[in-house]
Formats: sequence, C-alpha cells, structure tokens
Amino acid sequence: MTTVVGVNSKMPVNTIQDNAVAAEDKTQRDDGGYKMIAENVSVYYDGIQAVKNVTMKFKERSVTALIGPSGCGKTTFLRCLNRMHDMTKNARVDGRILLDGENLYAKDKDPIYHRRKVGMVFQKPNPFPTMSIYDNVAAGLRLNGVRDRKVLDEIVEGSLKMAYLWDEVKDNLKKAAIELSGGQQQRLCIARALAIQPEVLLMDEPASALDPIATQKIEETITELAKEFTVIIVTHNMQQAVRVSDYTAFMYLGDLIEFDETKKIFTQPKNELTAKYVQGQFG
Amino acid sequence: MTRLIDPSLKQLSAMLSEMGDLSIQSVMLAMESYLYGKNTTSQVHRISDEITKKYFQVADLTFEMLLKYQPVADDFRLIRSSIEVSYGFSRFGRYAYDITLVRDLFGDISECDKSWLIEASEKVKTMIKDAVLYFADLDIRKSVSMQQNEDFVDKIYKQRLPMLVNSKDTKCALAEALVLRYLERIGDHAMFMSDAINYIVTGKHKLTKQFLIKETEGVDLNNYESLR
Amino acid sequence: MMTSSQKRAEYRALFKQNVPGRLIVDKIMLGVILACVVTALVPLFSILVEVFKNGLPALSAEFLTQTPGAIGSGDGGIGPAIQGTLIIIGMASLIGVPIGVMGGIFLSEFGNNKLGRLVRFFNDVFMEFPSIVIGIFAFLIIVLVLGHFSIWAGAFALSLIMFPIVTRTTEESLKMVPLTYREAGLALGLKQWVVTFRIVLSAAKSGMLTGILLSVARIGGETAPLIMTILGSSQFFAGFNSPMDALPLRIWRLSLLPYDSAQMQGWGAAVVLIIIILAINIGVRYFFARKGKRGGLFSMMRSGIRR
Repeated sequence: MTTVVGVNSKMPVNTIQDNAVAAEDKTQRDDGGYKMIAENVSVYYDGIQAVKNVTMKFKERSVTALIGPSGCGKTTFLRCLNRMHDMTKNARVDGRILLDGENLYAKDKDPIYHRRKVGMVFQKPNPFPTMSIYDNVAAGLRLNGVRDRKVLDEIVEGSLKMAYLWDEVKDNLKKAAIELSGGQQQRLCIARALAIQPEVLLMDEPASALDPIATQKIEETITELAKEFTVIIVTHNMQQAVRVSDYTAFMYLGDLIEFDETKKIFTQPKNELTAKYVQGQFG
Repeated sequence: MTRLIDPSLKQLSAMLSEMGDLSIQSVMLAMESYLYGKNTTSQVHRISDEITKKYFQVADLTFEMLLKYQPVADDFRLIRSSIEVSYGFSRFGRYAYDITLVRDLFGDISECDKSWLIEASEKVKTMIKDAVLYFADLDIRKSVSMQQNEDFVDKIYKQRLPMLVNSKDTKCALAEALVLRYLERIGDHAMFMSDAINYIVTGKHKLTKQFLIKETEGVDLNNYESLR
Repeated sequence: MMTSSQKRAEYRALFKQNVPGRLIVDKIMLGVILACVVTALVPLFSILVEVFKNGLPALSAEFLTQTPGAIGSGDGGIGPAIQGTLIIIGMASLIGVPIGVMGGIFLSEFGNNKLGRLVRFFNDVFMEFPSIVIGIFAFLIIVLVLGHFSIWAGAFALSLIMFPIVTRTTEESLKMVPLTYREAGLALGLKQWVVTFRIVLSAAKSGMLTGILLSVARIGGETAPLIMTILGSSQFFAGFNSPMDALPLRIWRLSLLPYDSAQMQGWGAAVVLIIIILAINIGVRYFFARKGKRGGLFSMMRSGIRR
C-alpha cells in the first residue's frame, strides 16, 4: 500500500516564512506543472517484488530526494525512470512513467529516445577510461551523430561550466579522464550527462564515493542545476537530503511511505515510520 | 539501541525539569513574601541565580547537540523549543526575585486588601505548574487551560489597576500594582512557553483558537481540574 | 556482551608467540618460491641460449635474403621462409582475428544463455584440437578441392587454430570491463552496438591485444598444418595459389638433413623465428602503449614546464 502525501500544484506550498527565504535565493525557480509522473510503478526481479505500486510526481525545476534504508527499492525505482531495467535480466516493470505527458514504457517507444531526455549519473564516477576529458563530455554527442566541431566545442564548454569543472580543466581538455580526482571525475560525469541536453537528471548517490570537499562541490552543483533541470537524487545521507532537496520521498521495503516537502519530512513527518528512520531509530 | 544523541537528550530533559521545579519553588516563596509578609528575599535570590546558571548550560548543550548530531523531526523540535522553555523558567525566577524586593522596599503589606492578589496568585501558580507538567507529558489540552488562565490574569490586571489609581493607601496600592505587574509578566512567559511546547507537539508555531478548539473537542473546558 | 580486558589478555595469550621461528619459516617459503621460479625459467633460458649460441653464427645478409642453395652446400639462405612466415601469419590473422573478436563479443555481451554456453563449450574443445588434425582438414577441404597446395589452405588452417584463442581471450577481456561503463553508455541514449564497439571494446583493448599476440605466437610456430597445406618451396612468393615456404617448415626440413651446414642453417632459422615473434610482440605493445600514454605522460611534462 502506498501513502501519497501529494503536493498539489494549486495549493500554496510554502508558508509565509518559507516564501520570504525562497524569494531571496531561489528567484529563478518556477513551480510549474509536473515534469515527470510515475504511476503505480512496480518492479519485479525474478518474481520478487522490489518496488510496490509506487506513485510519485516530480515538479519542474525541483530537487527530489529518495531516502530509505538499504534494499528499500529507491535505486530500483530510480532506474525505472530512464528504463535502465531493460538491460537487466529477469526484471519486469509495471505501471506508467510519464515524461511531459508521454508514457516512457509505451510499447512503441524505443528507450533510446527517452534516455536522451533523462540523464543519469552513477554512484561511482565512471568516465570512459580510454577517452580524454573532452571526448568523455562529447561522447554522448559524437556517438549520437553530432559532428560539427564548433557545436561540440560549445556544448562541451557549456556542460563543463554547468558542472563547475570548466575552470579546473580548461587548460588541458585532452588529459585522460581517469587522471582526474574522484570529485572531478564525478563532475565530469555530470557534464557528460548534461551534454546531451536532458530535461531530467537522475543521480544515484552521486557523492557517496567522494570526500567531504568534493561532496560539497557536488551539492553546490546540484543546487545550481535545479534552477534549470528537474533533479531526482537517491541518497543515504539524510543531511544531504535536507541541504539539497525541495521534496523528499521515504521508501521502505519497496513501498512509498511518505512524500512531502523536505522541511516537513525532517521537522514534522506525518508517518511514524518516517520519524523513526530520519531520527536514526531503525535497526 | 541508544543513539548517540540519546544521553544528551536525557541530560537536556533533566536540566529542564530541574529548572521547572526550582522556578515553581521560587515563585511560591515569592508569593509568601506578600501574602504573609515573610522575608524570603535571599532564598529566592539564590534560587533565581541557580536557574539562570542552568539557562546558560541549556543554551550550550542545545547548540552542542546541533553541532554534533544535526537532529531532525521530534529531536529537532524538542531542542528548538528547549531554548524558549528554559528562558521562560529563568524569567519566572527573575520575577520571583523582583516580587520579594517589593516586600523589602515597601515593608510588610500582608495587611492590605489582598483579595485580587490572591486570585491572581492562584491562577499564576496553576499556570507555572501546568507549564512544567505540559513540558513533561506533552498533553496539548494543557495549552487550552493555560490560555484560559492567562486571559483571566490579564483581566484581573486590567480591572484592578484603575482601581489602585484612586486608592488612598499609597503603600498598599503601589506594592499591589508592582506585584500584579510581575504576576502578569509571569503569566505571559508561561504562555510563551506553552507556545514553544505546542511547537514540539504539532510543528506549528502559532496555534489559532480554532485549532485549539478542534484539538480539545468533547472536553469540558470549564472544569480545569479535569484537564490536568 | 563486550569482551572484558581480562578475556582479551587470555585470547592474546592463545596466539602463536614464536615470532623468530615464524620469520625463519617466512624466509624459507620465500626461498622455496624463488627456487620454483628459477626452475621454471631455467629451461626457457637454456633453450634461448642454446638456440642463439648455435644459430647466431649462421646469420648473415645472404642468409636472410637468399633462396636455399643446393642441398648440403651450405650456400643460400632462408629468405623465402621468412617471407612465407610473415605472409601466412598476416593472412591467418586477417581471417582469424575478426572472427575471433566477433565471437568473443557475442559470448561476452549476448552469451548468457543456452546458445552461449554451447558455443563456449565448442570453442574450448576446438582450442584443444591437435593441429595436425586441422591440417588434414584443410588439406581435404581446400588442397584436394583446388587440386594444389596453396597459401589459402595454409592461412585457412592457421586461422582455425587462431580464432578459438582470440575468442576466448576477447571474451575474458570484455567481461573484465565493469558493467558501469556499459550503463553509462546506455544512459547517454546510445544504441547497444555503439556502446559495445566504441566504448567497451576500446576499454578492453589491451587484454584483447594480449590474446591476439598470444595466438600469433602460437601459429607462428605451427608446423604440422603447414606441411599439408603450403607444402614448402625453395622460391619466393609465387602467388596465393602456389605452395610457399615458412620458417617452421624450413627448420624441420633442415634439421632432417645430415649435413652440418644444414644443421647450422636450421639453428639460424630458429633464431630468426624467435626474433620475429618477439619483435611482433614488443612492437605492437610499444605502439599501443605510446598511443595510450600520450595523454598522461605528455600532459604531465607540459604542466611541469608551464609552472
């Protein structure tokens, strides 16, 4: 059973206090409609249900954090959003996932088409090992048929700037990507994902393999990106969720337990299980 | 499984309940100074100092907990309100001391007309006891009774002062005015504490009358004793 | 219940305390291991020493470029054999490597099923086939059908020996590329084959190369299949449809002759064969290492200068 504490776009979402703060530092945010809607999504691995009938709505230009203990299904759910499970043996996905109203899982849709709209950054930085920095960022473009050198240069620079990596690497874009530090590699992966001009960015524990300073930079990047993209991030670090996200979804054993504004989840959660988890009273 | 934050939370609760007991003690002693003319000044002063010391300790502890544990949800609301609650207790002690000073200044006023004072004192006594109990058991119905008591004390204060203006006995009038003033202030701070404790329970800062009425539906609000 | 410090002291007392003794055992084990390594290397080095000792005197410009002279005369050289070996290795690779690589890709990326297991099994069996059987097979299929010995037949036979090895090593190298790179490629909206060929393959390059070089070294020295397919000759390359000489063949023929000069020429041929295989190995490795390191080594140097 799922509980959806839905966020209706017609309801005034913020209190007066929050709006004052929001107006100052999020002036470019725009609470439009829902960019992505996951309806009654279930995932089965070898017959075992890993995600149980989950419904979530993601607003445009927002950051949503998925939290929950290990094995709760948050990463499995995230991977549905860009059809990564097509690659997995014995995985079955039920339900609908709408991106701008179009169902990603419709029978006639080739997943390739939608994966270009929904980018993904993985837990461990994975820049292509045999390519340079430039080639890595341009990989998605080149291998999708973009050839014009000028356009590639532009997009590579733009993506690296958006990922806050440009200043650190602009002097030598031909350097091998694997020679960068962990944090830089992860930002490179973010730039690579951004290069194909997605509209939604999925991040699977993007900072968990990084040191605190690199983590901080990634979090700053995410906050900037949210001004333009819809970001959905899986994290096991609750303080990170508090710092970075606007909405939080708590999942447990495949169910969606609670979905609400981050501030509410972490100051006054409605569900007792949520309160227990965020306060570290599990296990 | 005790979390890292649990011992600190326990310590915080213990300190606050000590402050509560001390503040009740100080106010009761202060009331004896004008009701019976007893000289309790030095005693109350000592207690008030101790409460203030504990107030600073609570402040240090809460910020240390924020630094170390980054608490959320229930823990967070408790710590957030502890600051206001402990401040309230320190104010009780301070005003209690101020009340004992009235006896020192004006002398024994136990012979003056104390009927209004007695009524106000009773209500304030109830209020500060309720505040301590409310913090201990987080029963939101106490907030309703406290609100009513506070309205009552305000009423007494507003009605009595004009009368004192026209009084012939200056000593009694001035002393009574001062004590009423302090009692009214104690009542105010008790209400601030009640608001802070409301936040712990509901997560909302300012509870409207409608909310309170809804929360206490079906309860006999006129029978204060039943609300304890 | 946490272990008390008393219990801890008890536990510590249980450990073996004989540290000096254990250090000696350590050294002895190291000695044993080194001895084994030496034992393994001694035959290798003694072969090399023997070959070079006996063969180097035979080397000369004439030896390397001339056709064989009259039997027993000591004149002439092994020019055609060298040419033949190079040609036949090249051709066999042209056939064997692509087939092997494709097979490896199939097994690694799409072979997690019954068909894959079947193919893998047959591949492993084929890898162990006696090369003379393969030679006979090529003889029957090509030589008899076409009516004459030819390079086609030789290249065919050698490629049959080559491709199971390449398949196997390609599959292993591809499997060693972590899944996450394929996922990253797919997440960029790339098609499966693009991910496999442009990303995964280039990451597995060095492993695959090792496998290919291994197989080249293997076929460079195969003699039996060549006997039945290219037969051997005393002339330089005369067309793909004619017989051809090759170093293993020449070594074998020379070693059977009773003349000392022939024996020495045999040794010389052996030296040449070893040198060719070594050269191919080192050369290709160096080429790829340089290409790979260009990013790292040069950029580090450049940034040092700039500072």
